[in-house]
Amino acid sequence: MPLDYPIHDHTLANGLRVVVSPDHTVPVVTVNLWVGVGSRHEAPGRTGFAHLFEHLMFQGSRSVAGGEHFAALMAQGGRLNATTWFDRTNYFETVPIGALELALWLEADRHGHLLAAVTQENLDNQRDVVKEEKRQRYDNQPYGNALVDVYAATFPDGHPYHHPTIGSMADLDAAGLDDVHAFYRRHYAPDNTVLTLVGDVDVDSALDLVERYFGGLDHRARPDGKRSAQLPPVEGPVRVDRFDDVPNDRLHLAFRLPAEGSDDYLAASLALDCVAGLTSSAMVTRLVRREQVATSIGAHAMGFVDGSSLGLVVADIAAGHDADRVEEEIAAELTRFAESGPAPELVEAVRAQAERGWLSALASGEERADLISQYTLLHDDPQYINTALDRILAIDASQVHRAAREWLRPQHRVCVAYLSRDADAEGAAA
Amino acid sequence: MTAQPGSTPVVPRPAVGAAPPWAFPLPSNDGHLDNGLRVAAYDVPGQYVISVSIVVPLLLSDEPRDVEGVASLMSQLLDEGTERHDSEKFAALLERHGIALSAGVNDGALMVDVDVPVRHLETALALLADALAIPAFPDDEVRRLRSARLAEIEQERASAPHRAARELIATLWAPYERASRPTAGAASIVAQITRAHVAEFHAERVGPIGGSLVVAGTLSGIDLFAMLDRTLGRWHAPRHAQPSPPAAPDLAVDAARVVLVDRPGSVQSELAIGWRGPDRRVATGWAPYPVIGFLLGGSPGARIDAVLREEKGYTYGIRTGFRPRRAGGLLLTSGSVRADATAESLEILAEILDPANVSFSDDELRSGVDFIAGTAPGRFATAGAIGDEAASLLMDRLPLDFTTRTREATLALTTSDLDVAYSAIAPPHWCVVVVGDASLYADRVRELGIGDVSVVAN
Repeated sequence: MPLDYPIHDHTLANGLRVVVSPDHTVPVVTVNLWVGVGSRHEAPGRTGFAHLFEHLMFQGSRSVAGGEHFAALMAQGGRLNATTWFDRTNYFETVPIGALELALWLEADRHGHLLAAVTQENLDNQRDVVKEEKRQRYDNQPYGNALVDVYAATFPDGHPYHHPTIGSMADLDAAGLDDVHAFYRRHYAPDNTVLTLVGDVDVDSALDLVERYFGGLDHRARPDGKRSAQLPPVEGPVRVDRFDDVPNDRLHLAFRLPAEGSDDYLAASLALDCVAGLTSSAMVTRLVRREQVATSIGAHAMGFVDGSSLGLVVADIAAGHDADRVEEEIAAELTRFAESGPAPELVEAVRAQAERGWLSALASGEERADLISQYTLLHDDPQYINTALDRILAIDASQVHRAAREWLRPQHRVCVAYLSRDADAEGAAA
Repeated sequence: MTAQPGSTPVVPRPAVGAAPPWAFPLPSNDGHLDNGLRVAAYDVPGQYVISVSIVVPLLLSDEPRDVEGVASLMSQLLDEGTERHDSEKFAALLERHGIALSAGVNDGALMVDVDVPVRHLETALALLADALAIPAFPDDEVRRLRSARLAEIEQERASAPHRAARELIATLWAPYERASRPTAGAASIVAQITRAHVAEFHAERVGPIGGSLVVAGTLSGIDLFAMLDRTLGRWHAPRHAQPSPPAAPDLAVDAARVVLVDRPGSVQSELAIGWRGPDRRVATGWAPYPVIGFLLGGSPGARIDAVLREEKGYTYGIRTGFRPRRAGGLLLTSGSVRADATAESLEILAEILDPANVSFSDDELRSGVDFIAGTAPGRFATAGAIGDEAASLLMDRLPLDFTTRTREATLALTTSDLDVAYSAIAPPHWCVVVVGDASLYADRVRELGIGDVSVVAN
């Protein structure tokens, strides 16, 4: 099915890239900004900074009081948040159309004039909040640090994806107001930002409004567009063991994949789905359904832009079965797939699932805006939401097979094993 | 403060325009199939993935006591093989047609949801009909999913929020209530459930009469009722019995107390503070409750996070919300705090939640009402969101204009409506559960005077 979401791409004189996609079905609009800074841009000794910074963006700016950004938009029926990831930081709100100007005004104030309001007090407070976020999402969570171990073992020391976005608490403790100022000046500027509007707007009036509120920002980030060379597959296998209080043994098998943006990435991502991402994948059918040595196996690809993406196969080991044995069985299935390639029905299934996944993602204005910002900022391709499906569906079985041979052989795996400290503990589930 | 680079003049803050009128859509087609199944269809242009939801009313309290969890296990097994296709074949058929199928139960219904690209809609409806009408419940799959549930119970025990929720329902509700025990069953009982139990429960409790089907998405050019006559219209369940009348669960006689679930070494404490709440049919109207939840614990600026997050930095966020059931409901405040701030956080929460202290201001009323009413058009913009909302209304036997009328009632709320609604629900002492390292705070929590304190093992 050819998709034809309208896309109007415009760049202001100060470098701000603006994409407008009118959708008049509901009287709301999504304002979505992607800033080209994420944890991969962090300097050694300053990890976690991009994320801490995202928190500070809600603590007030030149004309906006601390907390007012949330309060003012929610009081108009807005839903909003922000997230930080390896390659970027995003800020977004969906508001009734009458509050579009307010949203743009608030965003422009913090994206242009944050430093006027940053204080030691709110830096200290948000550092404490981030520490609780880390405890909640990583430290006080079974397997909560598994991905941190995966990144560290899959990417070499100093590589942009070696450390997680949450960063090191010691680094955050060492950060001062001068770091905040330097970070903001370096990364937050119109020429390192994409602003996408999806919703009940007309293109011309939307662009006029963006010009009115953002046109005056004249700071420059001069983003460094350098991308690292593609990392080859890991020459392994590598194994990392963690003995912990976990309810069952869990294996995380990680693979380097081609950087996002290429057909090679799409092919590798489909190969991963074929190997372990479907209920009808051979690995899942055999180990979960027939032999029942694992209670679940799943797989997915995480697309990154700077020299590598990441593929993951995660297996929960069934009670009474040995994690090492299951890892060997998974390796055997990887070898089998790399040698024989996918059956035609499997490729058909993977494509059908990808199609539904894309169409579902595009169903809401929020997610559509986020995808437009992503592919505009990271790949200079605002039309991607319309062309992605055709590109994915054009990947054929031989490309999938080639990707598996190159990237998903068992010797290329990093296996992070979380093993129950007390393997024969009775589950005293009273 | 240093001067900013590029210090541009301040652009004046813009005014906000009035929101246009809005109503939750009514079905473009609303009728019954010959087998008794009600169908509500929503044509939502531009939504290429069709959202299909089946709601079969059943009460968990109708499960036999010695096989509690059978309803949940049965729901998980519906797509694990039918009389027509074995489990592997069925899974492959779903995946090859881009169909995502999920099923589960709550206190008042079996819900089966399907997402499917529009061109595979009829295939999806045919497979859904088979899953509901002629599931095979193969022995192998019963054993496998029973083991998976046992593993899941251990996962839930290891997860602080799940562990807290389990202790909360066990403490809050009377021990004879089904609501006091996990929806998907406890380990000792689940381990006893056999294929015969599952098949028997399915035969008695799952059928089209009294049930509903919601279909939402781009439906133009589709003869939906003809498609349904060929698929779900053929679903019959001769032994199907209607559920018992729903009843709100009773509180435990000693619900107002504090239970500390001890996890030595825990770096945070997970808090769950609950009490009996209303369901959406409450005689005084549902409108105040979402607003109250928002004002107490629905945003970083809400009363709780204004103190615990933004002032103290003790938490990433604490949430308060009402969770309506088919009959009765739960008022729950939950989240995690730094371990060494546990007692102080509980003291602050008891103070904020104390009905004697809760009187909402005009500004709070305005912000809460505008948030709840104003977010509705955006929240119900996709086929999935429209389908979910309609299915939940049908599950609770509410009219399909309930969402629109509740929004109108929300816009008419006064501060005294909020105060009266909260004081009618909130108790002087709460049911409190803390999952964390009890040795750090047990003594101080006893001194708070918020209820008798007991310590249990994880």
